[in-house]
Amino acid sequence: MFKEWLKDDSKIILFDGGMGTEIFKRGIKPGKLPDILNLEQSEIVTEIHKAYYDAGSDMCQTNTFGSSYMNLQKYKLENRIKEINERAIENLKEVCPPNHLIVGDIGPSGEYKPPIGKATYEQWYSSYLKQIKYLEPGIDLWHIETISDIEEMVAAIQAVKEVSKKPIISSMTYKKTKRGFFTIMGNSLKDCIKKVENENVDVIGGNCTLGSIEMIELIKEMKNITNKPLSIKPNAGKPRLTQGGITHYDQSEQDFAKDILQIVKSGAKIIGGCCGTSPKTIKEIKMVLDGLV
Amino acid sequence: MPQESFYEEISESIVNLDKDKAISLAKKAIDENMNLLDVVEKGFGAGIRRIGDLWDEGEFFLPELMLGGNIVQESMELLLPHLKANKEDITSGKVVIATIEGDIHSIGKTIVATMLSANGFEVYDLGADVSAEKIIRTALEKNANIIGVSALLTTTMIGQKKLIETLKERGIRDKFKVILGGAPVTQNWVNECQADGYADNAIEAVKLIKKLMD
Repeated sequence: MFKEWLKDDSKIILFDGGMGTEIFKRGIKPGKLPDILNLEQSEIVTEIHKAYYDAGSDMCQTNTFGSSYMNLQKYKLENRIKEINERAIENLKEVCPPNHLIVGDIGPSGEYKPPIGKATYEQWYSSYLKQIKYLEPGIDLWHIETISDIEEMVAAIQAVKEVSKKPIISSMTYKKTKRGFFTIMGNSLKDCIKKVENENVDVIGGNCTLGSIEMIELIKEMKNITNKPLSIKPNAGKPRLTQGGITHYDQSEQDFAKDILQIVKSGAKIIGGCCGTSPKTIKEIKMVLDGLV
Repeated sequence: MPQESFYEEISESIVNLDKDKAISLAKKAIDENMNLLDVVEKGFGAGIRRIGDLWDEGEFFLPELMLGGNIVQESMELLLPHLKANKEDITSGKVVIATIEGDIHSIGKTIVATMLSANGFEVYDLGADVSAEKIIRTALEKNANIIGVSALLTTTMIGQKKLIETLKERGIRDKFKVILGGAPVTQNWVNECQADGYADNAIEAVKLIKKLMD
């Protein structure tokens, strides 16, 4: 179904919004990995997925952003990799309506290569492979996201391709510099796009770090570099902690949705939100998109 | 002036991230009995400042920051024992830095610590998931000027505020400047915590601390 959506020129695919920030709103303890809620408080995770589908998301992603082997190791949860990833699928399946899709979410390992850290391509590859094999049976497509080292992205793509033939959205996270968009590791937008094109991914994306206004600029540059379908998930401005310790994002859902409209007009095929966005944001985007048709 | 070109050569080796060259120039300066204070300030200090400028220009990224920082740190370790002045006289200030309790994200904090050392600060990096109690105890023991507290998660940020509150309760808030770091930190949060500042990245952190030490 996803490939048909990609071919349908009139279809803009609505992805989900933030998961981590939604979980934190519900009072998860500091230092806890949000993914552990798949097991410990699955009703919270399911409730968030359902809220996104209800708001209009065509597809939602598993709560497995931090469930690669290397990232789980940091929380001493690596021996629970199977159950965390498998339960993530069950939690999503429970509420996924017919004709909607389940996306397997893969986030950064949290380990950098030298000189910053000690990670190697082989470690990344094997870490992702361990996660991917548990997600593969239950998902419709992949979203590899928020990666800031193109080598790590390539490791993740190749690990997916080792066990899966399903479509891949490959989404890096960029910062804006005086010389254009780069990852914090110094990979240029063009370099990243060319490398993932070589890996033959289905969709190329950008998510996190940048807010919706900066993403308008990013997608215009992406469009100039590639003919692949594009996916964008911006953050909702910068978070702010209030007196009571509750996280707030200053940007309104309406302002966000207005920028999303520009992003779609500039060529995005898949649109959603990252940190700080909520089902309310997705609902607002849905209204704007419906107005387009 | 030959001396000036020697300093330039050092600075150039830092910007080129040429560790062997930088180390050999540091050794040469020691062997030839040069004014090492000048070598540190006009050579290595200038080099690390240029790295900061290149970051601002979008020419350098995390790997270059880290490499450059490490090269200067290693050169300084070589030079320090030979400096005629007391360590106290040449240090830009003492900084105790840590990621707050409950938060295991240490990459940003480590880069800040490296850049501060490279800029002549005496840095005590306590690592990640560190209690406010331990941070304060170390700051008192080391007679630090600055406490730097990092938090990546919006759920652990609250620990930054608690640290400052603890300092106030003990009547020692004025002993230290407290600065915050981490992706979710904003000026609003600094105001609310009554901290002394925050920085978006390692280069900004160095600038901020230098300003606070003035």
